[in-house]
Amino acid sequence: MSVLSRENCERLFWLGRYSERVYTGLRDFMEKFDAMTGSPSAGEYAKHFCFDSNNPDSVSFSLMRAYDNAIVLRDETGTETFSYIQLAVYEMKNAAKSAAPLLPLQKVIDNIAAFWGMADDRIEDEKVRGIIKLGKRIERVDLYARMNADKEDIRREVRRLSYRIGRAGLSYSTEGLSRINALAECEEIDRAGIVREVEALITFAE
Amino acid sequence: MRRLRYSYHMELTFELPVNEHHFKLRCFPSSDERQKISYTRIEIYPQHFSTEEPDSFGNMCIFGTARQSHERFSVDVEGTAEIDASGQVAAIPSKTGIFKYETALTKAGKTIREFHRSLDPMNWMTGYERTVYMMNELYPEFRYVPGVTGILTSAEDAFRLRRGVCQDYAQILLALCRLERIPCRYVAGMIPGEGATHAWIDVCDGGVWRGIDPTHNRECDDTYIKISGGRDAQDCAINQGVFYGGGKQTQTVKVIVKIM
Amino acid sequence: MAIPEELYPYSGSVNELLARYGVKFGIYKNGVFNEQLFPFDIIPRIIERREFEYLERGLKQRVKALNEFIRDVYSDKKIIADGVIPEDFVYSGSGWLAQCDGVNPPQNIYSHISGIDLVQAKNGEWFILEDNLRIPSGASYPMIARELCRRSAPSVFAENRIEDNRNYAQLLRRTMDYVNTGGLSVILTPGRFNAAYFEHSYFAELTGARLVTCEDLVVEDEHLYFKDYSGKKEQVGAVYRRISDEYLDPVNFNRESLIGVPHVFEIYKKGRVALLNAPGNGAADDKGIYYFVPAMIRYYLHEDPVLNNAPTYLLYYERDMKYVLEHFDSLVIKDVAEAGGYGIIFGDSLSAEKKAEFIDLLKAEPRRFIAQEVIDFKDIDIFDGEAGKRVPRKADFRAFVLMNDEPVVWKSGLTRFSRNPDSFVVNSSQGGGFKDTWVMEE
Repeated sequence: MSVLSRENCERLFWLGRYSERVYTGLRDFMEKFDAMTGSPSAGEYAKHFCFDSNNPDSVSFSLMRAYDNAIVLRDETGTETFSYIQLAVYEMKNAAKSAAPLLPLQKVIDNIAAFWGMADDRIEDEKVRGIIKLGKRIERVDLYARMNADKEDIRREVRRLSYRIGRAGLSYSTEGLSRINALAECEEIDRAGIVREVEALITFAE
Repeated sequence: MRRLRYSYHMELTFELPVNEHHFKLRCFPSSDERQKISYTRIEIYPQHFSTEEPDSFGNMCIFGTARQSHERFSVDVEGTAEIDASGQVAAIPSKTGIFKYETALTKAGKTIREFHRSLDPMNWMTGYERTVYMMNELYPEFRYVPGVTGILTSAEDAFRLRRGVCQDYAQILLALCRLERIPCRYVAGMIPGEGATHAWIDVCDGGVWRGIDPTHNRECDDTYIKISGGRDAQDCAINQGVFYGGGKQTQTVKVIVKIM
Repeated sequence: MAIPEELYPYSGSVNELLARYGVKFGIYKNGVFNEQLFPFDIIPRIIERREFEYLERGLKQRVKALNEFIRDVYSDKKIIADGVIPEDFVYSGSGWLAQCDGVNPPQNIYSHISGIDLVQAKNGEWFILEDNLRIPSGASYPMIARELCRRSAPSVFAENRIEDNRNYAQLLRRTMDYVNTGGLSVILTPGRFNAAYFEHSYFAELTGARLVTCEDLVVEDEHLYFKDYSGKKEQVGAVYRRISDEYLDPVNFNRESLIGVPHVFEIYKKGRVALLNAPGNGAADDKGIYYFVPAMIRYYLHEDPVLNNAPTYLLYYERDMKYVLEHFDSLVIKDVAEAGGYGIIFGDSLSAEKKAEFIDLLKAEPRRFIAQEVIDFKDIDIFDGEAGKRVPRKADFRAFVLMNDEPVVWKSGLTRFSRNPDSFVVNSSQGGGFKDTWVMEE
């Protein structure tokens, strides 16, 4: 078993979360951007929610945070796996300059998907792999709850999270997990409640 | 031959609690050809892990870590010293060369160089005799005034002020000697009375270290207990520590030496 | 062998791959951190086997003597006592550290990884330009470039017998293991904002040594430990540290340092952990000490130096000062305290007034400068992608020598070139590029 520093545990977790935030955020953005075709504010909208890396709500911001974590995890993930995050950064830069940004943005999505696939396939250490995936699952539930996703989609993501959570080797709140499951099964989903619970699920010990 | 009883107390107090305190203490006199040291007490507060290890100048150091939260850190050292002023402490050639060269604290600047140029030693004098001559010339030019200089004040800055304490006297004389490449070292130690630690210098004279005290303008006799030696005051720092938290810190040192 | 032209079309694609894998170096400009790509030139420096064997002999000899020198100046100081090197040059620089006096590192190795910079003159003769014995960097670049060139143009590598340079990680691992006192081997990085962070993380990936920062390490009961996420501690036996001496341990070096591992130096003194390279190596790679390396080789090894220094004058010696003043315009003057291509002045570049000022400075601080003959560099071609043709540039060569029981010279090296046609400065921090170096098997 490998020895993993606490700092790297957190970084792996956030790499998972931010990569998910880029992926789901971009899919959402691309849909809305398409719907705005012809609107004079489309350019402004794209700049604000996609390309402005100083805006914490933009996709670009999340991608740069994913990159910040990935670059210091080269030895954990391997250069090959890391490279897909790097490629996504380059494509994001291309998209920002492009008159047809959806084409390079599709490549950003492709590279994030490839990153996950490579992480799954190439990272030998189960714990390292597991933490990235857990970050991704937690972020997915969090985003879906915030984004008014369909009830069934939220329930599915909560199930996937419940299945995944024990396999990362991090300590988590079992009570919190049952509360999330209970909240997701309600007829009227308390979305804010789910966000609160899912954010508190994992704590990194001092 | 003279017997002395000494007690040394150093205390650091912190405004806020300190959690992890890494320290390296250099306040333990050791025996040599000139002084025979015995200890009756060494106490370090708070609880800690530590080991002994001499530094590269041969000074005994205790280094360690106190992890438990504390607002006070203290060291107490007590014992007796038997001093034989005629005891010869050999200057090992391979360990002596380094003492000819200036350090940041003993670098002669414009003021010290000017003073050095104004001196007129006889050219038949040995290095030791030149040093005594320079000490005699320096003495009337500098006044003992506490509080105007600090532990990081360089020889040049102190000499420009013309005022300071024993550390400054010693470092100015070292700067002068080093302009002439006379091997000489800073010595931190204790003399009879009550107060702070004292400082003087050792000069290499025919393969033997001899102490002279520029603060009192005299040669060291059998009442001088050496604690540590180095190129300058920084090499003899009582404590080099790092800690987390603490806020403002205050250090007090109290030395008592009695002739038995 | 001839330069394989089949490589030219891949110039762009190899650079793209380097970008993809994040092969960058960090640089601070006006206080802002930026990551920059290190421009790669597709044309390798080719060194024939016979020639490399000659370099190898010279480099091994030099590194052996330098190791002996460091051991000596931190123990008996015989070379000073015997009058071979004036003690001024040992003690009055900033390289010799009093803390290291009397310390014996594991296996008595001081310079585990040495980066020796050479240049080749027009007549083919090689000269040593500089020894880097503290934290020489750069081996990762030709290593990954080779990997990517092989991917781009496999036929070139099928047809030519080129020494594989991708074994550097194994050599490095062996070097760490050789001095390891028991426990993990780790690579200690100052962090992502260090210029060579790519190299630190790439070496960690390839050697299997753990990449750590100071916060991951702790000294307890006289041993060094790595702390894992659960608070469990694992003993560390070798630290390939990529942080400089002064920041290594605030209790023993720069007390103002905010980083560092408190007490690591003390347990190193006790032989409980190996530090690569040893603290205090600066005593031997100072530009003033450089002058004396040929004398060191004769003194310690009783051999004639295989490789020569660039002709150098030490202003400290009166006869050299006289020569320098007489030939000022044809010399290059270097400040011994500067590195990275800074503090270099070409005599003929100064106005009469500046020259007079500078000569006053030389006379006032003779110990601070050395003067060298300007070597007529042999230009080396680079491929200019825009013009689609080869153009000549100045280049140097950094060879890496790793010390185990015997020194091993890596059969490759970092060739840096100046991208500006008029410049002699090849440092990456000043916009230079790099090449792979091929050592031929036969």
